[in-house]
Order: sequence, then structure tokens, then C-alpha cells
Amino acid sequence: MTTSGGRKAAFRRGFWILAPLWLGVIPFAVAYAVTARSAGLSLLETQALSVLVFAGSAQFSAVGLFAAGAAGLEIVLATLLLNVRHVLYGLSLGRELPLTRRERPVAAFFLTDEAFGVVAAARERSFSFLLGAELSLFAMWNLATLGGFVIGAAIPDPARLGVDLIFPLAFLALLVPLVRTRVELVVALVSGALAFGLAQILPGGLPILVTGIGGSLLGAYLTRGTLVDRGLNLDDAAREVA
Amino acid sequence: MSATGFWLTLVGMVAVTFGSRYAGLALHTDLPAFWLRFLRFVPIAVFAALVTPALQGHRHEGGIRVAAAAVAAAAAWRTRLLWVGIAVGMTVFWLLRVPF
Repeated sequence: MTTSGGRKAAFRRGFWILAPLWLGVIPFAVAYAVTARSAGLSLLETQALSVLVFAGSAQFSAVGLFAAGAAGLEIVLATLLLNVRHVLYGLSLGRELPLTRRERPVAAFFLTDEAFGVVAAARERSFSFLLGAELSLFAMWNLATLGGFVIGAAIPDPARLGVDLIFPLAFLALLVPLVRTRVELVVALVSGALAFGLAQILPGGLPILVTGIGGSLLGAYLTRGTLVDRGLNLDDAAREVA
Repeated sequence: MSATGFWLTLVGMVAVTFGSRYAGLALHTDLPAFWLRFLRFVPIAVFAALVTPALQGHRHEGGIRVAAAAVAAAAAWRTRLLWVGIAVGMTVFWLLRVPF
């Protein structure tokens, strides 16, 4: 009873912590649905992408490619390029979060940048908290896909409102409290600069993947000689046991 | 593209997306200390990478977006609250945007 109450509360905290991001998610999903509709996709097809793929930038690129008459294989490869960064999130979360064999595929299916972000930045780490955060975006993304397809162009363009700024602001707000040492500051600054440069030449998800690997390598290299990381040992030992 | 083509493509998209999301979580091996430290830095490196390219925007608003982000960072530093960082940043952005 107590456990289930605790789980529900953790789920709710995860769900609501992402609520400020809805303001960015809703217009983004609407824009996706409008694009999909004008690319000739049916409501079922448009919604199926939001339910089953659930990856904004990949869905956008896919409908653009559908409209351009691209081959299926090209679309799948573009999706892979945009989404392969999630391998890194899974590796990081897998270390931080005690997940059972059954929970892992569920956590994986709904994983996004944002859900990874709040869980990696929060002190609270549980499957319920993660799932709450994940389903918060999933619900909004899908409702807004449906609404966008039906109501369509009546809703203003997100770039014109500037609400796309919510995403970098959110990750900045998650990043700031994580930077406590000089090495962490160096990694954050170098990563920011590297990603900015790479984004000028590489598509969507790739700069994030390359920077994620490069920045983390730099951090691991700069902290060489530290036997164990501060704060990590006891918790992690406990989690490994659990 | 035919309807069948669409659904086949969708299956491929789901496979590579879910595959990417699941691969890291499923891998459960003991890692050497270097790679443990590597993984500790992943959120920092990734968050920074999600910030800087997206600050450019599409409408030559880079300057005010960066200014809004700087104020948001200060607010996030003080409060450690995600929603405060977002609310402060968006307010500054919209206020700065009006005159232009």
C-alpha cells in the first residue's frame, strides 16, 4: 500500500515536472501534424508515427522525406542518425536507475531527451518518476498531434511565437545545477562550443551524439587519477546490489 | 509512397528508434573506472549540446535568445527549479522581442 502510494506520488512528480515543457511540445506537435497532413499522410499514419516512433525531429524529417518521395530505407536511416544518441542516454540511465528486466523496455520505449534530462538532473531516481516524466510528454505530444491534424493551420507557427526556445532553456536550467567543479564547467563549455560548431555542418541528432561522447571523454580524461567519483560510491554500490 | 510502403517504413523507424533507446539500458556489464567516469559526464555534455545550437533560432534573434538564456541560467542557479528557469527565460525573451 505504502509502496504503491509512493510510486503514484513519484509518477505524479515526474509527470508534473515536465509540464512547463508542454508549452513548447504542443506547438511543435501541431506543426508536425500540419506538415504530415500537407505531405499527404492520413490521420492514422500521422498519429501512428507519434504513438510508435515518438521522436519529434525524426518524425519531422520522415514526413519531409515522404513528401519528397524518398525511399523507405532512406527514411529509416535518417531516423537512425537522428535517434542513435539515445544509446548514450540509456547507458547513463542504466547506471543511475535501478530498473528491472520488465521495466527496461517500457522505460526505453518512451525515452526522450527531456525525460532523460529531468531524471539525470534530479535527485529523485525511480522508474515511476521516469515513467511519469516520459508519459507527460507522450500524452501531450499525441494529443497535440491529433489536435493539430484536425484543427491544423489555425494554430500559429511555433517559430513565430518563439516557443521553441523553451527546449534550450529547459536543458540550460537542468545543466546549471550539475556544474559544481572546474572540470564540469570545462566540459560544459567545451561541449556547448563543440555542439554549436557541429550543428552548422551535421544534421539534427548527430551533433548531440558526437558532443555527448566527446565531452564525456574529456571529463573522464580530466578526472583521471581520481580513484572513485565523489558522491558516486556508496549510492552506486547500493544500487548495484539492488 | 504506397500504404504498404508507409507501414513498412514505420516498422523500420520503430525498430531503429526503440533499438537505440533500449540498447544502452539493456547493456548491463561492469565497466572500467574510466567508463564509469565517462558516463557521469554524459548529462553535462549532452545538456550543453542541446542548448547552444538551439539558441540560434531562425529569425535572426540569436542575440535576444542568448540574453534570455543568460537570465534563465541565473534564475536556475538561484532556485534550482526547472519551471522557474523556463518562465524567467521566456518572459525576458518575449519582453526583449517586442521592440524589434
